Amino acid sequence: MSDLQNRAGLNRDGQERVGASPQVDVQFDRPARRYQPGDRLAVRYRIDDCDGDRIHAIEHSVVWYTEGKGEEDLGVHFFQRVTDRSLRSSRVVAGDFAASLPRSPLSYEGLIVKVRWCVRVRVFFDGSRDFVSEHVFEMGDVPPARLPPPEA
Amino acid sequence: MTPTTNPFSTRHTRPGSIVPLDGRGSPLDIPLLVGRLRRAGGVGAIVGPHGSGKSTLLLRLADEIEAGGTRVERVRMRGWWDVSRAVLAFRNAGRSGIVCIDGWERLAGPVRRLVRLLAWTAGRGLVVTMHRRDSMPELATCCTSPGLLAAIVDRLPGRSDWYGTLIGAQDVRAAFDRRRGDIREALYDLYDVFERRARGSVPRRS
Repeated sequence: MSDLQNRAGLNRDGQERVGASPQVDVQFDRPARRYQPGDRLAVRYRIDDCDGDRIHAIEHSVVWYTEGKGEEDLGVHFFQRVTDRSLRSSRVVAGDFAASLPRSPLSYEGLIVKVRWCVRVRVFFDGSRDFVSEHVFEMGDVPPARLPPPEA
Repeated sequence: MTPTTNPFSTRHTRPGSIVPLDGRGSPLDIPLLVGRLRRAGGVGAIVGPHGSGKSTLLLRLADEIEAGGTRVERVRMRGWWDVSRAVLAFRNAGRSGIVCIDGWERLAGPVRRLVRLLAWTAGRGLVVTMHRRDSMPELATCCTSPGLLAAIVDRLPGRSDWYGTLIGAQDVRAAFDRRRGDIREALYDLYDVFERRARGSVPRRS
């Protein structure tokens, strides 16, 4: 299962990120990260190495998206924004959240298009800097698409 | 480690996900282009062939202009039916706002003239992308090179997990040549190569 930190490589202003980035460690309540429709998903996270930058908000979300060639689709299933004052003074920030998963769409590993579910933790620092961390999990048991056998 | 995300998928390569680079693969000086646009009276064109980074540059430029406090409206022309969206954008842009139109050539010649007239009379700026020069002031010319594609590939996520094993420099060069410099199509080709190798149907690069 993949974790993607800083997925766009750009900050909110569309510039390339430079310097140190925080480390976001997310732990799922199921180590295999495999869920079924209707299951409850719970995660705990910890944000380290903020490099002295002050955090002013954290967004938690559970989203699905398509990945492939061409147009993309995305759905936000769960969203929560935390703007606790204690965030500003902490060097290490930890938190947790939970959501009940819907019945669809199911995770799918296709060739041209894939459907992925992920937990996203977005950290907003003072100024315009932000940082996105994505942690993929699977919902359902749809088998991956198989490549056709090579032509003889 | 086999990455589970394809770094060549649209979400990692679409305009807005990658930094605008010049033809050799170095980051473009966006504030410089904003200054050039201002000197041209807020009207300008980004010119270049298919898949050369025009939309990527337009999007980044629009963000920079907006960050400077100017209202920006973005329109992506997919066909003549989007003309109404372009007209609406001029209304929404407000006084001294700027309208960015991606795909200027999808408007018919007389409609383009009408839109320019609308911008001039309403006092709005107009930035467009086009394939061939016309009478609009040229803000930037986009061109491609193998070095540009290599620089884009270098910036894709999780590079250390797949570069040199699933995708190598030769694949990048081959995709560029096969697609005759169209970066978008070359990235799609690399998506397919990545997909086949990650699934083990084609031997990985040693």
